[in-house]
Parts: sequence; C-alpha cells; structure tokens
Amino acid sequence: MAEAVRDRWSNKATFIFAAIGSAIGLGNVWRFPYLVQEYGGGAFLIPYLVCVVLFGIPWLMMEFGMGRYFQKGAPGVFEGIGKKWEWLGWWPATVAFLIVGYYAVILAWSLRFVISSVTMEWGTGRAGAEAANGFFYDTILQLSSGLGDFGSIMWLTVVCLLLVWAVMFFSIYRGAEASGKWHILFVILPWILLVAVTVRGMTLPGAMEGLNSYLSPDFSQLTNPDVWFGAASQVAFSLSVGMAGMFAYGSWVAKKADITNSTVIASFGDLGTAFLSGFAVFSVVGFLVQGLNIPMSDVSTNSLGLAFVTYPAAVSMMPGGNAIVGILFFLSLFTIGVDSAFFLAHGGVIAPLTDKFGWSVKKTTFWVCVVGFLTSLLYCTQAGLYWLDIVDRSVSFYGLIITGLLATLVIGWKFGADKLRLHLNSTSDIKVGPWWNWLLKLVVPLGLLFCVIYGGFVQDLAYLWDSSKTEYGGYGLGSLWIWGILLITLLISIGLSLLKSRKKGDK
Amino acid sequence: MTGAAIASAIVGWLIIIGVLAFCFSKSGNHGEWED
Repeated sequence: MAEAVRDRWSNKATFIFAAIGSAIGLGNVWRFPYLVQEYGGGAFLIPYLVCVVLFGIPWLMMEFGMGRYFQKGAPGVFEGIGKKWEWLGWWPATVAFLIVGYYAVILAWSLRFVISSVTMEWGTGRAGAEAANGFFYDTILQLSSGLGDFGSIMWLTVVCLLLVWAVMFFSIYRGAEASGKWHILFVILPWILLVAVTVRGMTLPGAMEGLNSYLSPDFSQLTNPDVWFGAASQVAFSLSVGMAGMFAYGSWVAKKADITNSTVIASFGDLGTAFLSGFAVFSVVGFLVQGLNIPMSDVSTNSLGLAFVTYPAAVSMMPGGNAIVGILFFLSLFTIGVDSAFFLAHGGVIAPLTDKFGWSVKKTTFWVCVVGFLTSLLYCTQAGLYWLDIVDRSVSFYGLIITGLLATLVIGWKFGADKLRLHLNSTSDIKVGPWWNWLLKLVVPLGLLFCVIYGGFVQDLAYLWDSSKTEYGGYGLGSLWIWGILLITLLISIGLSLLKSRKKGDK
Repeated sequence: MTGAAIASAIVGWLIIIGVLAFCFSKSGNHGEWED
C-alpha cells in the first residue's frame, strides 16, 4: 500500500507564524513581564537569553527536527526510536489534552470580560477599581469554599467556552495546510491589539514610573537561583516545548525547509511579544498605583490576578475610553491565547491520534473538541479555579518538565544527538557544530532537572520536614491530586502505546 | 523613565530586532517548500 501523503504547512511563512503563535501565549502577558520586574528588571534579560540559547532553542530544534525526520507526531517519533518508547510520546500528548482543557476556560473568561467591558459591568472610577477583585472572584467565578465544593455551573462562562471550542474546531478540522490563515491572523491581530493597548497605556499618568519598575536593572539579582529558575521555567513554558505539539508541527514542515533558522525566529518572535507585553502591562500598573496612591506591592502583577483584577481596575480608573481599552485588552488576551490552544489540541492531541489510528482529521477534531469541552466544564464550576490551579501544577509544571527531561535523554543518547544535528544541518543555513550535541545531551536535561527539583520538589514537599509550611497552595490532602493526575496521565499513555495502530486505508 | 530603564529597553529591543533581522537576512533555501 502506498504511504499516504502527509499534511504540510502551505509555505514557510505559515510554519513560522504557527510556531510563533503556539509559543506566544498568556504567559507572555502575565508571567514574563512579572519575572522581569521581580527579578532584576532589564538585567533579567541576561539569564533569559542564556536559557533561550542554551536550553530553549536546542529543545525546540529537537522537537521540530525529530517530527520532520520521522514524519510523525510525538508518539510516532518515539515509536520510531523503539516501540518500547512510544508511551513517552503519548505522555506529553495526554498532558497537552489536560492543559487545553483549562486553557480554553481562561480564554472563555477573557471573552466573558470582553462582554462585561462593553458596559463596564464592574464599575468605573475609584469605585470600579475597588470592585474589580470582587467582580472576578464573586461574580464571574463565584468561588466556593474549596476543592470538593463544586456548587453550580457558571452558564455565561459555558457559553463563552462553547465559542472557544467552536473557534478551535473550525480552525483545525481541515488540517495543517488549511489552518495556516488562522495562525497568521492570530499572531498579527494580537500584535496590533497589544500595540494599541501599549500606546494607550504609555500616555497615562504614572506610566513611566511603572516602566521604571519593569525595566530598571539590578545586576545583583543574577546570583539569585530563583532568577535562573524563573528564566529557565519561563523559556520551557513559553516555547511550547514538552507538550507533544512541536513534533507534529515539525512533521508538517517541507523536507527541504530550514528548521534551525525558523526555530530562532520563533524563539525571538516569542521574546519580542513578551517584552512588548511588559510595556502594555506595567504602563497601566504604574497608572493604577499612582491613581490609587498605593505601593506597587499592593497590586497583583502576574497570572490571573493581573489579567482579571489589576487590569480591569486600571481600566476603571482611566479618564476616558474605558470600555474600548477593556475590550481591546481582553480581545488581545483571547487572540494571544487561542493560537496556543490550537497548538495543544491539533499538534498535541489530534495529530498523534490520526497518526496512530488512521482516523480522519475532521472526525478526530470533532471528538477531541467535544470531549475537551466536557472536560473544561469542571473549571466552570464554583470550585473551578482550585482545580485549575492543581491541574496546572500537575501537568503544566511537572508533566511538561518530566516528560521533556525523559524525551531529551532518549533522543540525545538513544536516537543520537549527532544524527539529529546532521539532519538539521542538511537543510539549514545556520550550521550547528558538535557542541550542540552536548546542549541536547547534558545542558537541556540538567536545566530541566534543576527546574523540577528546585521549583517543584523543594517547594511542594518542603512541608514534610518544615512544619511552618503548608502543602502546595494550602490545599492539604487535595494537593495529592498533583501526583494522582500525573500518574493517571502516565497510565493512559502506556495504555495508548499498547493499542494496535492502524494506518490510513487499512480495513 | 530613568536612564537605566531606557537603556534596558533599547538594549532589549536591539537584541531582539538584531537577531530577527539576521535570521530573515539568511535567504538560503527559505523559498524552497517542495518535498
């Protein structure tokens, strides 16, 4: 039987936009700027650049290169190395499925805030700024008392969630080639929106103080291991490696295309977007703290607190055009994140399933979106935020880093870093020397080991020998779900690898 | 903005734009998209 023709990105630009789009995500807006401000201002760029060059780019080159070499998504790549390794491709795929489940809900909250911004539902002026916290936690989330108290479903969030999954389905179901225009749209549109929001932010009083806080360099921070953990983990999370999808994205690249060059472009395009986001965020934070006459330490400058409390509070305080700025910001948040959601669903989950079982992309996309939507409903309950926090720690931190660590070891030592390097160099203008092998075989795994031990085990298990500390997030026994969920994803991955594969056209 | 913050912003953008410009200037086989 003739081998089926594999789907392809329609051209190099589409591939680069898809790679940048998958890399640019919510973390560019709500984590990178925070890390810069917290860990040395402009000086943080030094550890970040070191980690991008020595750690992020080799890892991303590995995933693209292996995908193209085997013309398969993650499970097919590891099956190609040896049948006994196939589970190692399914593990990040399972992780990607769980991540997209809650990622879609955060996008749904962004859409919910677009709607609320039209009427400035949480209020304007100082009263609105003070009501922003309650609006998010008490009105949008209606947060319950704990993990087991599910309460009711937030139906308006569910409607927004349905829209998110519908956008994902219609963007993906015709395959990689047809999805190209969506990737281009969802990279260029958020750039335009971010620039608009940044320009507005920088014209506000107090903006320059905010930017001083963001960028003023403090080189003494470079000896702080927290800074290096922050940089390494941000590179790992931001480049979308360790989530299976980049193997599939690489498998859709033309055989003569230059992967090394595209990898560097994607990595620095991602960094540029994150750096720009910092101007959008801290100009507005500076305006807010000046308007409320409070220290910056009193406002949340990262994660959900930044996006859904601090920013709405600042929008309330703006002298004019509040609704427009609110709509633009939350639309930019949605458009920044939706491309990452495509990536997780398409490259991370759908491609491995179609590769293994020979199902059609359309049918697989439909069922992945349906099951993904149903999974997402957990986070639309009143306990949703607690579960999101636990699952995020389980799969997006431990899952991503541990599977990435194992993958780089197997590829670097078993498949052979040199073999991969020669494959990449055969079509690249930028040739990498044998030194690159050691980045893949040693530097990347050691970097990941540092992240999982220093940022993971040391923090989460500290309570075992230090009675003054509480279990992760103060969740008590609930924090055991972090390990339970990780174990379940591993068992599912082993199960999937044991199933018999079916090629397209087989009866 | 302080001089140090402005310098950080300029250096940051120069590095990002410089690397991107270098990569885009490498024409090589960029145009080839045939298997």
